[in-house]
Amino acid sequence: MGTKRCFALILSAAFVTQANVAGAETLVLNSYGGPYEAIIQERIIKPFEERHGIDVVYDAVGSAQQDYAKIKATNGRPGFDVAVMTASQSLQGCKDGLLEKLAVAEIPNLASLSPGLSSAAGPCGAVHEVQYLSLLYRTDKLTSAPVSWADLLDPQLTGKIILPTFQNIMAVYLLEMMSLSNGGDLIDNIDPGFDAMAKVSAQSVGFEQSSAILESYVRDGSVWAMPFWNGRAQLLVDEGVPVDYIRPREGTIPLIATLNIPVGAANKDAAVKFIDFFLEKSSQEGWVTGYRVGSARTDIDVPAELQRRQVQSVAGDKSLHLPDLMLLQAKLPEWAERWERDVVPHAN
Amino acid sequence: MTRVISILFWLSLAAVLAFITLPLLVVVAASFSPTATVTFQPFEWTFRWYGDLLSNRWLDPFLTSLKIATVVAATSGVLGLLAAYCIVYERLPGSDVLMSYLLSPLSVPQIVKGVAIVLFLSMIGFQGFLGTPALIAAHVVLALPFVTRMVATSLANFDANLDRAAQILGAGKLQRIRHVLLPMIKPGVLSGVTFAFIISFNNIPLSVFLVRPGDSTLPITVINYLEYSLDPVMAAVNVASMAFILVVIFLFEKIGGFSAQIHGGSK
Amino acid sequence: MSSLALDSSPPRTRRRFTGWFSYLALSPSLVVLAIFFALPMGIMIGMSFADPQTLSPTLDNYHRFLTDGLSLAGFCRTAIMSLLVAVCVTALGYPVAYFLARSRTRWRAVVFALALSPELAGVVLRTYGWLIILEDRGFINDVLLYLGLIASPLPLSKNLFAVVVGLTHVVLPFGILSLMTSIQGIDPNLERAAQMLGASRLSVIRFIVLPLSVPGIVSSMLIAFTMAASAYATPALLGGAGFKVLATMIYEQVLFYINWPFASVMAISLLVMMLAISFAGVRYESRRRLRTAGAKGDN
Repeated sequence: MGTKRCFALILSAAFVTQANVAGAETLVLNSYGGPYEAIIQERIIKPFEERHGIDVVYDAVGSAQQDYAKIKATNGRPGFDVAVMTASQSLQGCKDGLLEKLAVAEIPNLASLSPGLSSAAGPCGAVHEVQYLSLLYRTDKLTSAPVSWADLLDPQLTGKIILPTFQNIMAVYLLEMMSLSNGGDLIDNIDPGFDAMAKVSAQSVGFEQSSAILESYVRDGSVWAMPFWNGRAQLLVDEGVPVDYIRPREGTIPLIATLNIPVGAANKDAAVKFIDFFLEKSSQEGWVTGYRVGSARTDIDVPAELQRRQVQSVAGDKSLHLPDLMLLQAKLPEWAERWERDVVPHAN
Repeated sequence: MTRVISILFWLSLAAVLAFITLPLLVVVAASFSPTATVTFQPFEWTFRWYGDLLSNRWLDPFLTSLKIATVVAATSGVLGLLAAYCIVYERLPGSDVLMSYLLSPLSVPQIVKGVAIVLFLSMIGFQGFLGTPALIAAHVVLALPFVTRMVATSLANFDANLDRAAQILGAGKLQRIRHVLLPMIKPGVLSGVTFAFIISFNNIPLSVFLVRPGDSTLPITVINYLEYSLDPVMAAVNVASMAFILVVIFLFEKIGGFSAQIHGGSK
Repeated sequence: MSSLALDSSPPRTRRRFTGWFSYLALSPSLVVLAIFFALPMGIMIGMSFADPQTLSPTLDNYHRFLTDGLSLAGFCRTAIMSLLVAVCVTALGYPVAYFLARSRTRWRAVVFALALSPELAGVVLRTYGWLIILEDRGFINDVLLYLGLIASPLPLSKNLFAVVVGLTHVVLPFGILSLMTSIQGIDPNLERAAQMLGASRLSVIRFIVLPLSVPGIVSSMLIAFTMAASAYATPALLGGAGFKVLATMIYEQVLFYINWPFASVMAISLLVMMLAISFAGVRYESRRRLRTAGAKGDN
């Protein structure tokens, strides 16, 4: 009898607790795990919950590309209310009618964003941070600092490189830069990029999907160089890991990160509030100092030291190459197959 | 020569058992790892990772898994019992065909069933069904054949003479079912229900297509977390989840003598 | 009360009533399987003949599967991996199964528990265990590096080796069970008789136990193959981007490329592989029955 009561207790506990959660207003935020999660929880989510009394359910699943796939597969009802993605998915989602158009009337802080960056993300994406693809390297292992993307092919890096999987947009951007540095271009003439990537792949120990796992290789010194977002690279520098990063001389591609609302989101009011909150001056300052990234707001007050190595705007910066994101998006399935065929098999 | 062979045999036996237990021991050891990366320092350990388990991040999926597994175990237990009873005990016409229909999901890999179900839900526009309802439906499809088969086996072993004896003594049909048949096949039914609970609670290949943000099961939350980190929280989650399964089995064992029958299923 | 009334009624009516009741009781199972299994499977098969964009009927998906190189490579990787797992499971499981089938000591219970309990732990726990053992910075590499036996980490994870190790571990309990059942069915007197007639332990095993346990070996290989071919989590975590099998490729097609028709073709190819293997097993079993029946007839 005691056993049965024990059983009943466990089970009723399961159902009761679940019922309670449904009470308060909630917001399901799809984002990333690892260091990103720790920082966004502290700098953005906690203050947001306190101000608005909305519970944020944090869903750290998948890359931006995978999140968009989920939105597409569910016809705009992926189960999350805000997704942290990039300008590519913002444009695509607007065109496919799967993402909400964001209006200044509802999200006043949109008006404070740099117009150049905002327009790059289209009407469906709210640019909440800007980074660029940098080349991260171990200062204690490399005899001289790299200057070019071609330095990834340096023989001293054989077996000392790790690469992102193709599901991570970082891989696509690296491919693009390899193409540019080897006489190709960003969209149509990509062959030189694949040829070079095959060689980089032969230098590498393999592929990992998430930034958190990628950086763990550099952190413990088993890998000496890899492509990485500059904000994440700066975090490692600040942490005291013996690394530094460069913007190679061929230039690089900016990562315009956006907040998006799927058309079928269940908690749109909360989603709109969250985006406005994230774009607020104080939140942006918190995010920029916490995650070491650039902001699309030009009016934020942060130490100049923090701003020095960040991207402020896309236009006018000759070293930043922004591909036509819609064309790029259309190329991805074909390139993904080519990546599997021509790049992956060369890795060790 | 005989000695050499016998030594070789014992060595291989020990080696295989070591192979089987090694990863479990490593996970348990890792769950007490003092640092944020998994390291193996024999004299330092901490319970702090177990403390992390009490956050909603792990409690919510655990409760979701518990809820789903309970509903799945109860549903497939009742349906499987009814189905096996009708087919084996009542010997319906066409029972062979019915039985192979009921067992047919067993020959389809889980990942294929998962694809089929997610396609089906998307095609009829039932994306809102993803999460708990879809998981329950899919897990029932997965568990039902196992339960049916386990109950059918114990029904087949049921001695019909007992039933006849009760009938001669004047017991009605419902009485015979309640007092003769059910007690005899109870271990089979309970094993089936326990098995259904475990395969639902631990399931990955089907669940991976059907979870929803904020409505995800424990194993899926764990593999998603592994995308970002291998830290010792993972070990603690896994150890706690295994301990929970052992408790469930123990409880079932106390209720109805669940024996080594859990391996009635092969997938 | 009604049951008493039923019992006194003429057999025909009772039979019919029981029939109706039985079909009614059976119907929930039939309906659940129809809606959530048969219908989805039908849709999936239909989908495999649909154009990914227009959904008009086409054979292009099958054509792509056979010609793009990647898919067939994945198919072959799956088959090779599953075959290796089947061999490892059977080879490793045999001594344990033999011990379990023959031992009468109290150690039997211990070995039984040790051999089968991992099954309860779930796949994630065990795969995670292997992950932290085999990783570049994992347990084995840590120890070897510390001892100075190697200069840089051995590539133990993200490859065929890791996946086979992990899956062998996952499937082993099932292999042991089916081998054990088969060995238990061999009359121990045969072994004793042979030994009394002067056969060495080795020849007893080679000429009596092994041949007689062939059905168990076959069924253990079948179970291991089918379980390995359809596993998802272990190849996904231990194989990673470097070692993709059908299960992980199907997952990618559904959740990343959202190419449902092509995912369906891959799923069907996996299903066909499994059915072919099971069919081979059934054929073998029925032939063996025929042979044994024939042998008995000769006596």
